[in-house]
Amino acid sequence: MPIVTVHPSGEVIYLDPDETVLSGLYKAGYAYAVGCRRGGCAVCKVDCLRGRFHYNHPIADTVLTAGERADGTCLTCRAVPDGDITIEMRNEDLRLINPFLRQLNEKARVRAKSVVSGTESKEQ
Amino acid sequence: MGIMRMGYAHVRVTDMAEAKDHYANTLGLYEVLEEDGRVYYKGWDEWDHHSVVLEEGGVGLVKFGFKVQYEYDIDDIEKKAETFGCIVERMSKGENPEVSDGIRIHTPSDHLFEVYHAQTVLGTEVGTHNPESFPRHLVGVGVPAIDHALITCEDVKGMERFLTETFSFYATERVQTSLEPDADYIGTWMTSGNQIHQLAVIAGPQGKLHHFAFKLADWNEVGHAADLFSMDDVPIDVGPTRHGITRGQTVYFFDPAGNRNEVFAGGYTSFPDRPVSIWTPDQIGKGIFYHSRELNDRFTSVLT
Repeated sequence: MPIVTVHPSGEVIYLDPDETVLSGLYKAGYAYAVGCRRGGCAVCKVDCLRGRFHYNHPIADTVLTAGERADGTCLTCRAVPDGDITIEMRNEDLRLINPFLRQLNEKARVRAKSVVSGTESKEQ
Repeated sequence: MGIMRMGYAHVRVTDMAEAKDHYANTLGLYEVLEEDGRVYYKGWDEWDHHSVVLEEGGVGLVKFGFKVQYEYDIDDIEKKAETFGCIVERMSKGENPEVSDGIRIHTPSDHLFEVYHAQTVLGTEVGTHNPESFPRHLVGVGVPAIDHALITCEDVKGMERFLTETFSFYATERVQTSLEPDADYIGTWMTSGNQIHQLAVIAGPQGKLHHFAFKLADWNEVGHAADLFSMDDVPIDVGPTRHGITRGQTVYFFDPAGNRNEVFAGGYTSFPDRPVSIWTPDQIGKGIFYHSRELNDRFTSVLT
């Protein structure tokens, strides 16, 4: 289960498998500058500092240059992490707009972590 | 009368299956042809063969088609575009399926405009003999027809001059840097007939598409369309709201490739002799989005 760590503010967010970074961050209650949410405009790019991801749709050359495909640029609306990743926002921090979702995401992340480490109690 | 209307928008989409679902099932366009990796659509109240062409691969605009009333209008516009300094090519009948011969103009804004005089007539979905008011079993929004488009370029004033001199368009509204006679233009809304706008141009990068729009009847239909976009998880950019400019009611939304679409209702009847409405930069927020009175951060940045 991928975990996204967000620089510079340090949020740690749990993503469902096959979920895009954009979708995961919004489902965890966060917002940031996004555009069309469908891979057409390039507004939601961040930098991937650590970890790997793939795109779940073809990305137009007008949206992502050849250089950007190799330099860690991450078009978040189409990027699905292959494991834990660390990203850095470009122009602004994430804004928490729905703390209720943030709490649920935190619980899901802790539960996933305990499953992985084998410390999950039987009641859970 | 020269140009009658914007007849078709041809755009690129990254995933044809998703795009077809959007344009056919959410917007309710009728698929009329699939050929050579392109899918052609018409709205229920359109009689010509197609008004939307989707092409797989990439995103953004390929070209627009503008329909003239008479074949000889083509020669007239060809001469005017060449005089203006544009590269103009002749196109043959059938280069676009079911579309007549015509010309292809490389505009000063770095867009491609085709001008044609005929398409194969399929007829509206209600016909011409004692027609009902609308088809009984529309799908999704059930848009009747394409309406207009907004494009970007670096020299809006120059593009207004091009559209005036070659297409005989006139401006209905403008955003200007000032009210002085030497003001530069930030945006212009242009038409040939009584439709409030057929093509609008705002300052931005050359050759880009801001949106293309479909016609709806009124506020209720615009609200209903927005409801359907929520049901179908279509990203809504803005709305439902009103534009100060044109007075039209609107929802901006994105197709599955990120091209911006609009459903647009209302807009007052325009005439060439009506004094142009002028908006100043401090009121541009109200001009674009009449209720929030500010631009969102996508308005100028999200282009395809």
